[in-house]
Amino acid sequence: MAEDIKGKLERYRTAPFDSRFPNTNQTKNCWQNYLDYHRCQKSLESKGVDVAPCDWYKRVYKTLCPISWVEKWDGQRDDGTFPGKI
Amino acid sequence: MFGTMYQHGKKHPGLIPQFCFLILGMSGAGLYLLRLAKGPHVTWNKTNNPEPWNKLSPTYQYKLVAVNTDYKSLKKEGPDF
Repeated sequence: MAEDIKGKLERYRTAPFDSRFPNTNQTKNCWQNYLDYHRCQKSLESKGVDVAPCDWYKRVYKTLCPISWVEKWDGQRDDGTFPGKI
Repeated sequence: MFGTMYQHGKKHPGLIPQFCFLILGMSGAGLYLLRLAKGPHVTWNKTNNPEPWNKLSPTYQYKLVAVNTDYKSLKKEGPDF
């Protein structure tokens, strides 16, 4: 499983089609991947497992999200005012 | 409102097509809104069912008319949580 993810990360070109967000507006896609990355990190860290598989979500949200959004959300997470559930 | 429309329609029968298109358009928009509300696009219950779009298989068709997509795609993620 981790080897598949490593292989996929090496062959990564861009965010793949996500059938949950088929339309032009990809806002929710960006938001969902950002949340998934941090949830994955939190969950795998608490289990003591290597967090490398979470990097898939990180690549996807870095592809999709505007940098200003990511910086804003990171600041909110540090302040504790982040509106999403992680 | 429909009473007024009926009276005006009797006095000026040329208005009837306009009323028909108006009713058609408004009901079409309303029905599509209901379709979106019932589907997995909106979070109605934040505590019990947040993110209902995550609960379906990746082959579920979200669009009404899907012309070009082949829906046998695979889920590309690191399974966790």
